[in-house]
Amino acid sequence: MIVSTVGIVGGGTMGQGIAIACAGAGLDVLISERNAELAERCVTGIDEALDRDIAKWRHTASEKKAILARLRTFTELAALRASQLVVEAVPEDMALKAAIFAELDRVCPPENILATNTSTLSVTEIATRTGRPDRVIGLHFLNPVPQVPLVEVVRGLATSDETFSTAREFVRLLGKTGVEVFEYPGYVTTRVILPFLNEAMHVVMEGVASAEAVDTSMRLGYGLPVGPLALADRMGLDEVMRWMQHLFEELGDLKYRPCPLIRKMIRAGHLGVKSGKGFFEYDENGQMKPSRGRP
Amino acid sequence: MKVLVLNCGSSSVKFQLIETDEELARERKDRILAKGLVENIGGTAVVTYQPLGARPIKETAEILEHKVAVELSLALLTDPQKGVIRDRGEIGAVGHRVVHGGERFKSSVRLDDDILEGIEACFDMAPLHNPPNVRGYRAARAVLPDIPHIAVFDTSFHQTMAPEAYVYGIPYVLYERHGIRRYGFHGTSHRFVSLRTARLLGRPADDPELRLITCHLGNGCSVAAVKGGRSVDTSMGFTPLEGLVMGTRCGDIDPAALLHIAAREEIGLAEVNALLNKHSGLLGISGLSNDMRTLLEAEASGNARARLAVDVFCYRLRKYIGAYLAALGGADAVAFAGGIGENAPTVRARACSALEPLGIRLDPAKNEAARGADTEISAEGSKVRVFVVPTNEELLIARDTFRIVSGLPPM
Repeated sequence: MIVSTVGIVGGGTMGQGIAIACAGAGLDVLISERNAELAERCVTGIDEALDRDIAKWRHTASEKKAILARLRTFTELAALRASQLVVEAVPEDMALKAAIFAELDRVCPPENILATNTSTLSVTEIATRTGRPDRVIGLHFLNPVPQVPLVEVVRGLATSDETFSTAREFVRLLGKTGVEVFEYPGYVTTRVILPFLNEAMHVVMEGVASAEAVDTSMRLGYGLPVGPLALADRMGLDEVMRWMQHLFEELGDLKYRPCPLIRKMIRAGHLGVKSGKGFFEYDENGQMKPSRGRP
Repeated sequence: MKVLVLNCGSSSVKFQLIETDEELARERKDRILAKGLVENIGGTAVVTYQPLGARPIKETAEILEHKVAVELSLALLTDPQKGVIRDRGEIGAVGHRVVHGGERFKSSVRLDDDILEGIEACFDMAPLHNPPNVRGYRAARAVLPDIPHIAVFDTSFHQTMAPEAYVYGIPYVLYERHGIRRYGFHGTSHRFVSLRTARLLGRPADDPELRLITCHLGNGCSVAAVKGGRSVDTSMGFTPLEGLVMGTRCGDIDPAALLHIAAREEIGLAEVNALLNKHSGLLGISGLSNDMRTLLEAEASGNARARLAVDVFCYRLRKYIGAYLAALGGADAVAFAGGIGENAPTVRARACSALEPLGIRLDPAKNEAARGADTEISAEGSKVRVFVVPTNEELLIARDTFRIVSGLPPM
């Protein structure tokens, strides 16, 4: 099957990013939101994101126009039946996702592929809510979707080889690399990065080095584009905490126990870039303010 | 022979059905029977089709792959009402435009699996163009399996450049390892225009003393120095980015500026690539448009940045003409082709201004009047004669295809 039209459930940050990546690759995109106001907000978000892309020379004004022309929004899931592949990108809530997949299964032609962008919930479990578990797969996009060239293509227990190869071909069409991952908590990217971020927080908590010093060490020492604490700030400390908690619960190993410092920071309302303060401080555009500390 | 000429992009197929043979080509009586364009393949495609002497027809259709687009093109060509041939059997061969032939392909060639492998080996160097060219070929072969398919390369005409013209001033080992050198593009157009200009001068194209400078000025722009029918230098390099200022491409730039831009703008390689290819050139300087017509109008109504963009464009062009006068040791003629070259007298005039001491003198009235037809625009007694020569790459692809299929030597 060739994917030429993609359905997206949920027009939040991830849904918007996936929509831009798909439309940018020349695919038609149908987005479903809960109501007209959210659908409108999704389009506005995409519009603004494309303006930022133009300012960063990623797109031209005419490319923006072409991308917007390939997008359509709807307020009912049934509209997505015209797509060959649906990507669900709603908040990480099993009850919510289960209901959406049951409904998608009902309205979409049986040969179509249903994908979830979940990073923590079980693809296998979500698939059981449908009559086509072999055609359900995980597509874990990373934020910001248009810029990150990787997608984890996650096989649930029942995902068929055919579904996997169609999904991987779809990812390739977006100009991204798809890696094959078998469902397991945290997959590859989340599982490997979280203990790294957590350890950096421990180093700060134990007074070994300042946040600036930790990030500078890891950036310059290992040629990373961004340090672990700035990365945690971008992801949102509450999100990082939630993912850690999830890995800790699922895998039960102490190495996944969230650093106590992050709990304290979250209680203080220091959530990272989105609250203006985390391990570093940020202005209203999300730009890091010059640090007063010394590396 | 009726030749189907195909030019396949990533989401488009351009096609022309051209009737040509040796005599028709000699008499310049070969003609386009019909042409068309399928755009936005992979979704709701827009199909434009125009038979000879009729109005263009536009329709939309769901087209997901190149094969369907080629099928549709053939269906239009053989349609009882709109078509120009009765059935597919009338098509004698297919000529494919292929952008990059690397160092292997020095002339047009009949396609087979081995040739295909050679074209695929160039994917790295033309990631946007060669893959769809090959996809188009595979589609056409599936639909028309029993007739010859010929590849005509944008690069092959420039394969006659000497090492001193194509080697960059960087470690030679990079050429050996990765093929980093100047290749040049628009070769089919430069070859067509130089052949035509030779004829306008009344000289054989392979006259070893014949020195021509051909300027292909469309949305992409390049200049070539041609001696004795062979390209000795051209302004595009490893990619089409080098050389002249173009619609949205920057042309020559100090590479060190890019490192600085990347650091200051906090952007990566992909963004730098887009910046130079899509945001630069006439569009980037003017901030207004990549279309020369729009800029000339804006300039006339006092837009300073539009004027600057046109000035930079013309000055760069003048420098290249001067450079190729030096490379060739003088020239017998300069020819202008492409949308801008054929239709913008002011660009031709500004590019040739101040070149009188080098033997180039335009006739202002002739230059002003020349549009879209073979015309001499130099003044009486100009040492270097100047022509407007409308280019026709498809026609040359059709002629090459006919000659190869018929076992004739290349033109």
